[in-house]
Amino acid sequence: MSIVMTFRIALKALNRNKMRTMLTMLGMIIGVGAVITMVALGNGASQSIEQQIASAGTNVIMVNAGNFTTGGVRMGAGASNTLMPEDAEAIRNEVPGVQYVAAGVDQGAQIVAGNQNWFSRVQGTDVELPLIRAWATESGSFFTPADVASAAKVCVIGTTVRDMLFPDGTDPVGQVIRIRNQPFKVIGVMASRGQSAMGQDQDDVVFAPYTTIQKKFRGITYIQNITVSAASADHIKKVAEDITALLRARHRIQPDESDDFMVRTLEDIAAMRTETTRTMTALLASIAGVSLLVGGIGIMNIMLVSVTERTREIGLRLAIGARGRDVLTQFLVEAIVISLLGGFIGIGLGYGVSRGLTRFLEWPTFITPQAVGVAFGFAAATGIFFGFYPARKASALDPIEALRYE
Amino acid sequence: MPVISVRDLTRVYQVGDIEVRALRGVSLDVEAGEFVSVTGPSGSGKSTFMHILGCLDRPTSGQYFLDGRDVSRLSRNELAAIRNHQIGFVFQGFNLLSRTSAIENVELPLLYNGRPSKTSERHRRAMEALRLVGLEDRAHHYPNQLSGGQQQRVAIARALINNPSILLADEPTGNLDTRTSIEVMDVFQRLNAERGITVLLITHERDIAEYGTRMVSFRDGHIVSDEKITRRRIAAEEMAALPPVAV
Ligand SMILES: Nc1ncnc2c1ncn2[C@@H]1O[C@H](COP(=O)(O)OP(=O)(O)OP(=O)(O)O)[C@@H](O)[C@H]1O
Ligand SMILES: [Mg+2]
Repeated sequence: MSIVMTFRIALKALNRNKMRTMLTMLGMIIGVGAVITMVALGNGASQSIEQQIASAGTNVIMVNAGNFTTGGVRMGAGASNTLMPEDAEAIRNEVPGVQYVAAGVDQGAQIVAGNQNWFSRVQGTDVELPLIRAWATESGSFFTPADVASAAKVCVIGTTVRDMLFPDGTDPVGQVIRIRNQPFKVIGVMASRGQSAMGQDQDDVVFAPYTTIQKKFRGITYIQNITVSAASADHIKKVAEDITALLRARHRIQPDESDDFMVRTLEDIAAMRTETTRTMTALLASIAGVSLLVGGIGIMNIMLVSVTERTREIGLRLAIGARGRDVLTQFLVEAIVISLLGGFIGIGLGYGVSRGLTRFLEWPTFITPQAVGVAFGFAAATGIFFGFYPARKASALDPIEALRYE
Repeated sequence: MPVISVRDLTRVYQVGDIEVRALRGVSLDVEAGEFVSVTGPSGSGKSTFMHILGCLDRPTSGQYFLDGRDVSRLSRNELAAIRNHQIGFVFQGFNLLSRTSAIENVELPLLYNGRPSKTSERHRRAMEALRLVGLEDRAHHYPNQLSGGQQQRVAIARALINNPSILLADEPTGNLDTRTSIEVMDVFQRLNAERGITVLLITHERDIAEYGTRMVSFRDGHIVSDEKITRRRIAAEEMAALPPVAV
C-alpha cells in the first residue's frame, strides 16, 4: 500500500477517536513543550552571559546584585535590592587597583522615532563605561556626570538602533526619540562593533544614565550591576577579593551568611557558563527522557487498545490480501502520526511559553532550529519505538482467528 | 486440469490437550466454471475446508493444488498475495468496514495490490464491480445505511474487484431472508455463467444448494457424497416470479 494511503487511513482512524487521540497526544505535547521551553531558556541564559562576556572590556570585573550560585532560596526576596549606587562609589574610592567603575540598571523597551519603532535593551550605566569597554562614539558624545546627576533624558545609541530608527539617513544626534513613551534626546552614536564572537549584535544597544532608568522607568533606588575595570590584569584576583570584602562589610553580611551579590571576573563567568550549561543539559535530558517515556507509554497503551478493538478489521484486511507488513505499517504510522502531531503542538506550546516568559518575566529565551529539529526527531523516535510492539502484535494475527474475534 | 485439486487434506486443531480433527482426509477436484454447493451438518468441517481453499489457513497434512501449483506450504506473504488476486472470499457476516463507504470497501483489495495506483482508476474499477452486483447507485452509502442483502452484495463486489478466478462463499445467505437470498444467489449464478468464475458455496439449506451444479456433502471431516444437481434452480427466473415489493 502506498505511504500516502497509509497516512490517510491513519488520519481517518485517529479522527474517529478525536478525544482519545488528543488525550494520548497530551503526554507528547507536554513533553516536547517542556523540552523546547527548557532549551530556549538555557539558550537564552547562556546567550545573555555570552553577550556580557563579549561586550565586556579587558580586565573587567562584573558585580551583579543577587546571588544564584549559593543558597538562593535561603536569602529571601529582597536580597537582590541591596546593591546601591553608593556601593559603586565605595568601590571606586576604597579598593586599590580599581581603574573605572560604572553602575548599571537595564530595561527592555520599545523605542519609537517618527513612525519607526524597534525593541531593544536600554542599558542604564555611568560615564566610565566607554572607557572600560574602550568604545568610542562615532558622532556626538557620551553623556556626562551632570547628565547622570540630573537623571537627564538623554541617550546614546548603537548603529543598529540608528539604522532601524532612522532608515532615511537622518543624523540622529540632536533628534528626540521615545523610549517607553518618554522623550529622550539622542546625544551620540556609538562606533560600530559588529557581531561579537558569539554572533551577538553589539550595536543593538541604547545607553542612558542609570539614574534616568531608575527614576523614570523603574522607580527604584538600587542598581542591578556594577562594571569595574582593574588597572592591570595582574591585580584582577586581588581586586575582586577586595570588592567582595568591601561589599560584605557594607551590606553587613555575617561571616556565616552567603553573599547577596556576585563578583565575577571574565574567567569566572566563562567557567560558570560551562557549569550552568552542563547542569541545564542534564536537567533537560532528564525532563525530556521522563516526559517522552510517559508519552510513549501512553501511545503504546492506546495502540494496544486500538489493535484489540480493531481485531476484526485487521482480520478482514489480512483476508483480502494485506501482508503482515501492510498491517504493521498501518499501525506504526498511526503511532507516528500521534507522536508527530503531539510533537508539533508541543513545539507550538514551547514556543508560546518561551515567548511568554520573555515578555512577562523578561527571562531571555532563544529557540534554535536545532532544538525544534531534535524535539521533532525525538517525538518521531518515540512513536516508532512505542508503536512497534502493538503494530507487531497486529501484524502477527491469524486472519481466521482475528475475523472470529468477538 | 482442475482449478482446485486437494488430496488427503487433514486439519487438526489443538485445543489444550485435546486434538480436534476437523478434516480427516478430504480429496476433491473442481473444474473451472463449476458451481459447487458444500453442505453438511454443523461441525462437519465445511468452514475449515473453505478456509484452506481460500488460503486463509494451512492444512495439517495433505496437498492443495491451485491451478496446478502446490500452495499448501506457501509462506504467509505468498498466501496473502493469492488471497488478494486469485481468490475472492465472501463471509456469512459480510465483514465490511464500518464508517467506510461501499465503494471504499470494494476498493480495499486494490490498495494491497499496488495496482492500479491512480485513485480515479481504482474508483472506476470499484464502480464496475458494484455495477456487477447492481449497487452502483449505493456507492457512497455506509454499511449501516444498507440492507443485509445489499451489504452482502458489496462484499461480493469486494471479492470480485481483482478479477479472481475462484469465488468462495461461507454461508453467504445465512443472515438473509428468502428474498434477499435469491438476489444474492442470482449474483453468484450470473458471475458463474457470464464470467466463468468457479464458485464454491457453503450452505446449510438444501434449496440454496440447488442453485449450484454440483453438491458435495461433509460429515465428520469426510466428504460423504458428491453428486450432480439435476434440477438446478435459476435465481433470475424465481426473482421474476416473485411479487414486486414496494420500495
Ligand atoms: N479455531 C478452532 N479451534 C479449535 N477447533 C476448531 C476451530 N475451528 C473449528 N474447530 C472445530 O473443527 C470442527 C469443524 O468446524 P467447522 O467450523 O469447519 O464446521 P462447519 O462445518 O463449518 O460448521 P457450521 O456449519 O456450524 O459452520 C468443529 O468441531 C469445530 O469445533
Ligand atoms: Mg462453518
